[in-house]
Amino acid sequence: MTDRRVVVTGIGTVNAATAGGRDALAGALALGRSTIGPVRAFDTAALSSRLGAEVDEATFASLVDRDAARRLSRICRLALGACLLAVRDAEVAGGPGLGIVVGTEHGDFTSSRDFAHGFLRRGPAGLSPMIFPNTVMNTMASIAAIAIGAKAPSVTVNQATLAGDLAVARGARLVADGRADAVVAGGVDELFHDVYERLAQMGALSPMGGRGTEGCRPFAADHNGPVLGEGATFLVLEERETARARGARIIAEIAATAWGNLPVAPHTGRPGRKDPGSPVARLIRARGKAGVARCYGAGNGDPVVDDWERALLGRDLAAPDDLVPPVSLAPLFGQHGGLGALRVGAAALDAARGTSAVLVHGIARGGCRTALVVEPAS
Amino acid sequence: MSRSAARDGRPEVVVSGLGIVSPYGAGVKSFWNGLAAGTCAIKPITVIETEGFRSRIAAEIPAEVIGALGSSRRRSRADRIALAAAHEALADAGLEGAARTDAALLVGAVGGGMLEGENWYWEIARGRPSSRMGALRSILPFSHAETLGWRLGLTGPKETVVMACASGAASIALGADLIRAGVTPTALVGGVDALTHICFMGFNALKLLDPTPCRPFDRERRGMSIGEGAAFLVIEDAAHCRARGGRVHARLAGYGMTTDAHHVTAPHPEGEGMIHAMQQALDASGLDARDVGYVNAHGTGTPQNDRAEALALRRVFGEGGVLVSSTKSLVGHTMAAAGSVEAAATILALQHGLLPPTANLEQVDPDVPFDCLPVVARPAEVTAALSNSFGFGGQNVSLIFQKRLP
Repeated sequence: MTDRRVVVTGIGTVNAATAGGRDALAGALALGRSTIGPVRAFDTAALSSRLGAEVDEATFASLVDRDAARRLSRICRLALGACLLAVRDAEVAGGPGLGIVVGTEHGDFTSSRDFAHGFLRRGPAGLSPMIFPNTVMNTMASIAAIAIGAKAPSVTVNQATLAGDLAVARGARLVADGRADAVVAGGVDELFHDVYERLAQMGALSPMGGRGTEGCRPFAADHNGPVLGEGATFLVLEERETARARGARIIAEIAATAWGNLPVAPHTGRPGRKDPGSPVARLIRARGKAGVARCYGAGNGDPVVDDWERALLGRDLAAPDDLVPPVSLAPLFGQHGGLGALRVGAAALDAARGTSAVLVHGIARGGCRTALVVEPAS
Repeated sequence: MSRSAARDGRPEVVVSGLGIVSPYGAGVKSFWNGLAAGTCAIKPITVIETEGFRSRIAAEIPAEVIGALGSSRRRSRADRIALAAAHEALADAGLEGAARTDAALLVGAVGGGMLEGENWYWEIARGRPSSRMGALRSILPFSHAETLGWRLGLTGPKETVVMACASGAASIALGADLIRAGVTPTALVGGVDALTHICFMGFNALKLLDPTPCRPFDRERRGMSIGEGAAFLVIEDAAHCRARGGRVHARLAGYGMTTDAHHVTAPHPEGEGMIHAMQQALDASGLDARDVGYVNAHGTGTPQNDRAEALALRRVFGEGGVLVSSTKSLVGHTMAAAGSVEAAATILALQHGLLPPTANLEQVDPDVPFDCLPVVARPAEVTAALSNSFGFGGQNVSLIFQKRLP
């Protein structure tokens, strides 16, 4: 039995540049303007890192019903807003055939902090039963599933750097396997003071402990760390024949997905390490066609990620000089859990314009590696 | 949306390895001995402060068990029990060479290394300097998969599945999907959770914890008891397992995954999503409800869950149509690990012909029209059994295991 074919029929995004469907994302990509600037949401004066790509509250305030919004944390509203936009863009209906996959790196730490603060201030009496559910990472998916009527599997995946890529790959798997006819898949993260501060103190953000000028410069000689962003991007993935039958506006096809692991110590990378089981090589072999026309990468300015990705792709691709380094969207939107889905969305829009095969590649510290091939819909 | 093991041309999936660290101790043997004896492991909590809380008990892994695990004390408590359970599962399966290194790794997780992160946070928030900031590196749920993938040298697909209390069961179902799709012939799947302040305080705040050891399906039940543990299964393409001479614990005959899309914390009052998950699993297995002799229920002991689950069971199996027990009454609700801990319990019950009991069950709720196996394990030769796992957000996973007949 062969897999069912999977197409992209909708895009919803709430990012630092824009909020909207496929046209909004295409517009932001065409503009190509970086949204990275000094963080405004909290004070960074005492930190070595001060930049971020923030989503203005006004950008997405109107997306979620005001009464419902009062009960939701900010990250839930980001995720819900993007899911509603994606479903609207695809004009897909809820029900037992609709699933959801949410990828996130940090989840709702704001709620975890608020919940713990309640206890530290007032003891057991200060604990909020309303906040507690938000501390579990699948709450964004739960809120969105209720809103869009998703009754097929609702999955949350937690992963550094590649949360969105992995969520889209898993979502495509659910459709290909027949677990759902359509899946809303993507990722979300928010800029949160405590996480930002700790990462800055650990030297995980540009300028990584004070070396050089702060900024997001993937694959550049002076790259010195990622800059955090925030937002949510979701794609509607749909079984091709179902989409055709309902007259959906198909953007592109997810032609193949693969993911794997390079065993290295947590939070580390080894740019010299080869990958005998490379998901990219597996996809190229399985497709029986050489080469891709364009490549998006996970490189975000972290020298370990950038160098590892460049080395791996250099070995995997038939014409590496044209594709390595890959295109990074981190300078436009900042590093966050939705960025991987945004990359796949960008690849889908490229394919819709006729680009023959677009590879979306990812590698994260800790060794998780993803690959998706996006093609024009046939 | 149903799965048809072996009948649709896709690989049949079998369980070829088991590994567990439970409140009874380390290892499958101690786990099964505890279940078979009906020993309730729910006791006063020692790892976190409980002063002032409604419930102050849990099924904790004893300190001497944690101390004897062998892995570095610098790792989080959750990472340590996950490593021990995963090592046991791989050794039990006897996987070697590429069959081992190419295995997928799916870890159901919620709390991550939060216990150690909380200790750091508690000190900082109370204005005391802390030397524990390094603990934050393993605070997120994906830390377990990173640690396991590295220490076990696994190169297959790696995922961390966060689906609340259904996480462990979902990791089994999603791993089986990879095998059935031909992505990999082997997968190490399961869940892990250690006790955390947030979990303990949160369920107390929701008033979902029983001050006494939980009594699932009892008329006087007052909530659940939390627990901690790790359980991993090696699942495998049956043909691959046969070719390498591997031992089969059970066949994963079918599974279903649905979402209520109803409420963030409460199950659908009529058990709608639960019914569909069980029905999907039955459809996928090709079995009739009458073929299933035992259900290892989600059975948390909260009034809402047990009522909804009983309604769903009645719809699927008919009144009294199947034997039911909740092993959460023995080892507590092990959160992200619960689905895989209970999958292991279900498989062991099939193997031993002995169904673990529901501890502390004295007066069965009249709304639960089933024999819930009170207090004492019962010998019964069943050939197929179903394990239910439900989670916050209306996440429902049902797994059916079938005994491999000689």
